[in-house]
Amino acid sequence: MANEFPFEISPMFEGERVRKDDMFVELAGPKSRGFELVKAAGIDEVEDGKFNLIGPDISEMQEGSRYPYAMIYRIAGKLVEPDLEAIVERRNHDFQNYIQGYMHLNQRYDVWVRINKDAIKKGLKSFEQIAKATMMLFKNELPFIEKIEATYITEPDEVEKQRAEAIKIYEARDARTKGLHDEDVDVFYGCTLCQSFAPTNVCVVTPDRISLCGAINWFDGRAAAKVDPEGPQFAIPKGEVIDKVGGEYSGVNEKAVALSGGEYSRIKIHSFFEYPHTSCGCFEVVGFYIPEVDGIGWVDRDFNGTAPNGLAFSTMAGQTGGGKQIIGFLGVGVNYFRSPKFIQADGGWNRVIWMPRNLKEKIKADIPPELADKIPTEEDVTDLKTLRDYLEKKQHPITQRWTKEEAAAEVAPAETAEAAPAWSVPAPAMTMPVGMPMMPMQFGGGEGVKLVFKNAKISIDRIVFKNKEK
Amino acid sequence: MIVKKGSFVIEGLENVQINIGKIGEGREETVEGPTPRPEIISLRNWDYRILDRYAPVYTPTSDLCDYCTYGKCDLTGNKEGACGIDLEGQSARQALMTSIMGSACHTAHGRHLLNYLIKKYGEDHPIDVGPSNLKAPLTETIMGIQPQTIGDFLPVLDYVEEQLTQLIASANTGQEGSARDFESKALHAGMLDLLGMEVADIIQISCLGLPKSDEKTPMAEIGMGILDPKKPVVICVGHNIAAPAYILDYMDRNGQFDKIEIAGLCCTAHDMTRYNKASKIIGSMSKELKYIRSGIPDVLVTDEQCVRADILKEAQKLHIPVIATNEKITYGLPDRSNDSVDAIIDDLVSGKQAGVLLLDFEKVGELVPKLALKIGPIRKAKGITALPDEEEFRKLVAKCTKCLQCTRDCPQSLPIADAMAAAVGGDLAPFEMLHDKCVGCGRCDYSCPVDIPVLNVIEKASQRVIREEKGKVRIGRGQIGDPEIREEGRNLVLGTTPGVLAFVGCGNYPDGTKDVYNVVEEMIQRSYIIISSGCAAMDIGMYKDKEGKTLYERYPGRFIKGNLLNTGSCVSNAHIAATTIKVASIFAGRKTKGNWEEIADYVLNRVGAVGIAWGAYSQKAFAIGTGCNRLGIPVVVGPHGTKYRRAFIGKPYRKGDWNVLDGRDGSVVNVEPAPEHLMITAETKDELMPLLAKLCFRPSDNSLGRAIKLTHYIELSEKYLKKMPDDWHVYVRSEADLPVAKREQLLKLLEEKGWKIDWEKKKITEGPLRKVDVSFQPTNVPRLCKEVKK
Repeated sequence: MANEFPFEISPMFEGERVRKDDMFVELAGPKSRGFELVKAAGIDEVEDGKFNLIGPDISEMQEGSRYPYAMIYRIAGKLVEPDLEAIVERRNHDFQNYIQGYMHLNQRYDVWVRINKDAIKKGLKSFEQIAKATMMLFKNELPFIEKIEATYITEPDEVEKQRAEAIKIYEARDARTKGLHDEDVDVFYGCTLCQSFAPTNVCVVTPDRISLCGAINWFDGRAAAKVDPEGPQFAIPKGEVIDKVGGEYSGVNEKAVALSGGEYSRIKIHSFFEYPHTSCGCFEVVGFYIPEVDGIGWVDRDFNGTAPNGLAFSTMAGQTGGGKQIIGFLGVGVNYFRSPKFIQADGGWNRVIWMPRNLKEKIKADIPPELADKIPTEEDVTDLKTLRDYLEKKQHPITQRWTKEEAAAEVAPAETAEAAPAWSVPAPAMTMPVGMPMMPMQFGGGEGVKLVFKNAKISIDRIVFKNKEK
Repeated sequence: MIVKKGSFVIEGLENVQINIGKIGEGREETVEGPTPRPEIISLRNWDYRILDRYAPVYTPTSDLCDYCTYGKCDLTGNKEGACGIDLEGQSARQALMTSIMGSACHTAHGRHLLNYLIKKYGEDHPIDVGPSNLKAPLTETIMGIQPQTIGDFLPVLDYVEEQLTQLIASANTGQEGSARDFESKALHAGMLDLLGMEVADIIQISCLGLPKSDEKTPMAEIGMGILDPKKPVVICVGHNIAAPAYILDYMDRNGQFDKIEIAGLCCTAHDMTRYNKASKIIGSMSKELKYIRSGIPDVLVTDEQCVRADILKEAQKLHIPVIATNEKITYGLPDRSNDSVDAIIDDLVSGKQAGVLLLDFEKVGELVPKLALKIGPIRKAKGITALPDEEEFRKLVAKCTKCLQCTRDCPQSLPIADAMAAAVGGDLAPFEMLHDKCVGCGRCDYSCPVDIPVLNVIEKASQRVIREEKGKVRIGRGQIGDPEIREEGRNLVLGTTPGVLAFVGCGNYPDGTKDVYNVVEEMIQRSYIIISSGCAAMDIGMYKDKEGKTLYERYPGRFIKGNLLNTGSCVSNAHIAATTIKVASIFAGRKTKGNWEEIADYVLNRVGAVGIAWGAYSQKAFAIGTGCNRLGIPVVVGPHGTKYRRAFIGKPYRKGDWNVLDGRDGSVVNVEPAPEHLMITAETKDELMPLLAKLCFRPSDNSLGRAIKLTHYIELSEKYLKKMPDDWHVYVRSEADLPVAKREQLLKLLEEKGWKIDWEKKKITEGPLRKVDVSFQPTNVPRLCKEVKK
């Protein structure tokens, strides 16, 4: 096919690295300064396809030199809004890496770009070529962008000046993201992208809950729904609030029925035990209930050992996945630990009683400080006994539940009641996981038939001794 | 009296004898699923479904049948033979027999290992394959059980052996007559093959400490130039680690790794490095004759599979003693298993015996290093080699009459006479080229009318390149662990991984080993996941980039886009197929136990995995491919693969073949031909590249995935075939399926094809076969559809 650019544009070049010896010029990066920024603007304020360069162009640069580098895009369209800026901006990295001989690393004010000597030989001489290709990709992939213009800067003072502005914008955006909660919006987003592999899974993405693969947040969902409202990511109007704490909404429930083919009728977004969110298979972390201490442990994919309940990640993940609603196990993305509504239906952080050291390290900043040293890792405890002792010694808030429970024990086995609610889904979805409290077995009284064996020969192929629990 | 279900009390027992067969502790073994332990007929409906779409295409090398004494029968022109079979039936019977042979080979390997390992470690030795919930996916899917100990595999192999016997029986004259059912049986044999391989590799991983789903195994050295020929050299040939393990243990105990060089040829080499990383790899079966004739080996140890039939004869000429360690290959050698090691060594060193059969592994372990230390110096002092010296070489190449008989007999039609002529003028470069392209079969030696030992001449001329033949292979990792698959799920779903390509099989390449390296390099850069095993995994590691790094050194070994994995030897192939079962279990929660049809249906419609056996030669490779086909995985073979005489080729022009059901309501949906073929030959590397990309399409692709797959399909076609593929538009369901960098151009091309485009919204309004629907649940199995209440 004809190519208007002097370079190939293909995902094949995504992983391409430009080494120092092959480099024509380095832009921004750790030894210089730079940034990338996307700004929403009014439809009449943007001249589609316009490119403006402040500072020297590629053809004016010396081989082996280094320059500061800023890329500013202004986008406009009926559906364009400031909430989408960050989403669009992040794609600059993807798209620019499609360009052969052009390496783009990091994002925002950390960008680091290198251009290969071969690209220059093949005819790359101006940033305009890069910008035009990038803008073409933006418009192709995100058709809600009706107009786009770009300004690239290589002039040091100008980069500095604009960078200070950009940082203010990033900060404002971050504050908006952090300050935006489920109750502040009218729509959530559903994502069914993974139904190509996990046919019954539906991810509900809310400001306080990222998709469990960790790839789609509320803003991503919003952008994708604008690109194609009938596509795999779509708006879910919240509807009525049914359970504020657990995060149950009539709109979500209606969608759940439709999208799971009737498999599920209720989903509580921030609940572990009651109508939990389904888990596909990509989740980064599995939460698992330990009935012996009435708490929830979390184990991540990278942890190779066994949790205090004697099970490894893979074993528990095997119980969890497949786009099914499973009580007692929950798959989540690491970022969900950062949500202020983190399993709030079940006591939130107060219910967390174990996690591997590396995971704990990763999310340290988000653990409530008063709990930080009360949640043990594989270095502190190895089994249920040492776990219990540890929690007791550190006075983990979970121990308060024990006293309550003991008091109530005579009335009813409390956790059984909570963990096995009245359930309205078909039987296959209701796998009772290992380690869950079982309903007491009915040992029969031998009604009806009585047998007397005389002169019998009994051949048994195999006898199985079952170890009684505890 | 009627005994009802429920519990009852036994009031008394008198004079009762109770026989207990087996006692297991703590677990109940339940057989589950719709088709556990499938019989020949159990999965026939599934086979029919795939055979109807991917109808067998036969390329028989002979149109007569001489199976029985009625014959030989001329089957040309649709004539029936004396027993009533026609050419189609006979061709299908050939496919069945090929598949059975391959399957029997891996299963017998597994049986040998299982009996040996149970004797050594006991039936209760636990299975340990690494961090996975599904530890034996094929066993679960076929047998309906979850094995926990190696003893649990006893009934599994019993089952495979029983089924293979049934299948062989059906090939006798006067048995099966339908081609379609012969093929269904061949598919059954292929499935059994996967199972036999899984058993073999899981038990050796569990008992012998081979890497357990380890993405970071160390590198092993590979190549004809890696050994120090001044030291005594032990070479093990074949596939079965049992005997070589004893040699390695003995050498380890006695600190002999710096005194003796030990390496393997063919898959034994993989498993030796998995067992002890001090071991090395010479290369694939293609290197057997070449390496023996070099005279470098001082002791040859054979076990089973892919061992040349003439090893003893060749070795004898060069005074290399052969130690045969497996009943399957005995070469007429005396069984010395009950004799003392020293007595045997004396007979071998003195040349009284050219080799021995030694089935006592303890003795093998002790004898081989001792023998090497003794005979090595003697052989080296004499400088024994089959290769001509400089003087002889000059005379030999001058003798060539350019009759070209060698080229006609060469399976690769190599221009040998040209190389002879160049060598007369002192130019060895053409011979060096031949060295790589030559598969080492030795047929040319027999064809030369003036008795030039052609292979020896090629090898002599190539000494410079052989000395530099030093690569690296990441040691076989075993299975793909569940956590890696979970992590990769996101890339598969978001379309950033366009597919999984498995490079497997043997070294009968059409144009040298470098093609495999080149194909793999490009496909890794395109973010495909590359999994390899067996000889292909070796050849991938034979070349280096300009910085001197092999592909294994450049790309990590995790199951993630743009990575390069080596699962291990031939039997480790099972793990590649098993990974698709894991995907179905992990992401869709599909029940695996005894549930072959549903899993295969999932794989066929959803998992973009393709097998490539570019140099496949053996019946084993055919069986593996056929087993993958039954699991819904398409396989591409190289041009020599036509000699397997059967392919499964889809016909995109027959629209009705591509109807699938929507699992949500059972409605019929006509889909694009994806995957288009199940077993097909590619004639050249150029043809292979876009074909690989194309065979990764699946009906369930979401738009992100489809766009990426289409990007590579179009790019690879343009790059290697210099044109847009004829059928690219067939795979476009909406504008979102179009490669992002070319969207506008492609929309224009679609408009030229008569599609309607809304240019303002840049949307396709009319043209595609069907719409994208990410929730579409494609299935070929009616019972998997939900009943819709009206």
